[in-house]
Amino acid sequence: MSMQGKDPENFTIGQNDANGETDCVTDVGTPLIKADGVTYSYRNGEQVSRGVTDVSLSINRGEFVVILGRNGSGKSTLAKLLNGFLVPDEGIVTVRGIDTADDDKIFEVRSVVGMVFQNPDNQMVASVIESDVAFGPENLGVPREEIEERITDALETVGMEKYRKGSPNKLSGGQKQRIAIAAILAMRPEVVILDESTAMLDPKGRREIMDTVLKLKREKGMAVVLITHYMDEAIAADRIHIMNDGGIIASGSPAEVFGNEDAVRRAGLELPVAAKISLDLKKAGLDIGFALTDEELAEEICALK
Amino acid sequence: MKDISLGQFYPADSFTHKMDPRAKLVLVIAFIVMAFLAKNFLSYFAVLICVVSATLVSRIPIMKVLKSIKAIIFILVFTGILNLLFYNGETVLWQWWRIKISVEGIIFSVKMVLRLVLLVMGTTLLTYTTTPTAITDGMESLMKPLKYIKVPVHDIAVIMSIALRFIPIISEEVDKIMMAQKARGAAFDNGGLLKRAKALLPVLIPLFVSAFRRAEELALALDARCYNATPNRTRYKVMKFTWRDLVGLLGTAAFIVLVVALNNNFWGAYASPASVWWLFSV
Repeated sequence: MSMQGKDPENFTIGQNDANGETDCVTDVGTPLIKADGVTYSYRNGEQVSRGVTDVSLSINRGEFVVILGRNGSGKSTLAKLLNGFLVPDEGIVTVRGIDTADDDKIFEVRSVVGMVFQNPDNQMVASVIESDVAFGPENLGVPREEIEERITDALETVGMEKYRKGSPNKLSGGQKQRIAIAAILAMRPEVVILDESTAMLDPKGRREIMDTVLKLKREKGMAVVLITHYMDEAIAADRIHIMNDGGIIASGSPAEVFGNEDAVRRAGLELPVAAKISLDLKKAGLDIGFALTDEELAEEICALK
Repeated sequence: MKDISLGQFYPADSFTHKMDPRAKLVLVIAFIVMAFLAKNFLSYFAVLICVVSATLVSRIPIMKVLKSIKAIIFILVFTGILNLLFYNGETVLWQWWRIKISVEGIIFSVKMVLRLVLLVMGTTLLTYTTTPTAITDGMESLMKPLKYIKVPVHDIAVIMSIALRFIPIISEEVDKIMMAQKARGAAFDNGGLLKRAKALLPVLIPLFVSAFRRAEELALALDARCYNATPNRTRYKVMKFTWRDLVGLLGTAAFIVLVVALNNNFWGAYASPASVWWLFSV
């Protein structure tokens, strides 16, 4: 990428490109985002309602983390705490070692942690796609020639480069949301948080977003935090956290978490069909392993004697 | 359906379409000045030639430009008739009470209508040849000097850009809400004016609620994209002042000189105007 050999004197926020190869060596093991004993409540006059209570988690480089929970479980509050939109009442959130409560460095935090929201229409500021994608880098003061390169790169990553000069109005929900992701990618963050970004999309749009997310992780080595209430989106995750009532009630790999029937039921979530069938079959007395995907289920069933 | 956010933009590959939006904005202002400078029919004719040649250069069908006059037809008729009836002229042709029609009144109202028509034709050329986005960019760039007197030029530009972006979204939403209310038995197109205005209330309230919700999410999205992170913001799009803009500016300047010269009968270069000449130079 273009960022090599940057003069450290001229280092501005946002130019801290995800070319983490060199960085990585120095801080292997230190998580990108670390939340420690975070509590946050919403105050509306006298009324106080709990957002999240005593949550601790960390997001490492290149990791795909899914936070699952139903409406009101506190998962969106947690997302907003991770990039400094909200500052915890208790506990601390750090992004690359920077406290999100530090107002002077808030833009550095936000250029490292990009966030995509639920409604793609409400995230676009320009009527031409390339201008919209350029908005983030422009705000960060990236030089013109480099913005050009970043736009091309970001739109290619989400597979929307041929719409570059077009208007977002005629696109499908999935396409718009991919543009919104590209707009964040153009800022070259190291983590992308998708705050219920699939909730408003049809199944096709959801698949497009999931493919994009996996591509980001695989090809760009970026960390992705996906916040959702669809369990099937969590199958490919490296780690899952299930939230309920403002707290994390289960964490682990997909197989571990999905197998934790009690937590899934308490969180009011729905298991993917394959997982549900394999669990039910096991309960019915068949000697069958746990399956996450349809393929795994087919294999397990074929292996039955 | 045509893309509503493009407004009147008429896509074509022409000299004017390729001009710098800043130059076009300046030209439109110059044109308005020109139209107000014109005094006699001869100079009006020069302004008309200017508009027609600009239209030809822009490759916009003349009919399309004429159509834009339809929008102000009411104003034209209104100002025309008022000026005709109430102009205080000398050579009275017909009089009743305070209303009188005079030769001067006829000439004045014809000029008035002509000026309005020319103004609309000239200014719509801007919106026909320039996308709203380009106009916004051009305005931002032209307003840049205002930064030194603490005018938030960039914020204004972002606001305009967002407004343009949301016009189609909000209009789509209006359709949706209207349909939802119709499904609940609301009637929007019968009854008197007051009743119809009242019927719109159940559309406006949900529209406002949703607009505020959108605004809230948009504010977060702007923050997420580090809006106002640094005062040294860069611009991706650069506008270039080319030979086209120079030609346009020189051409318009020439027309302004011509109009002024015609206003003054070339400062007496032609000693005694012929009678036909006189007719045009009232």
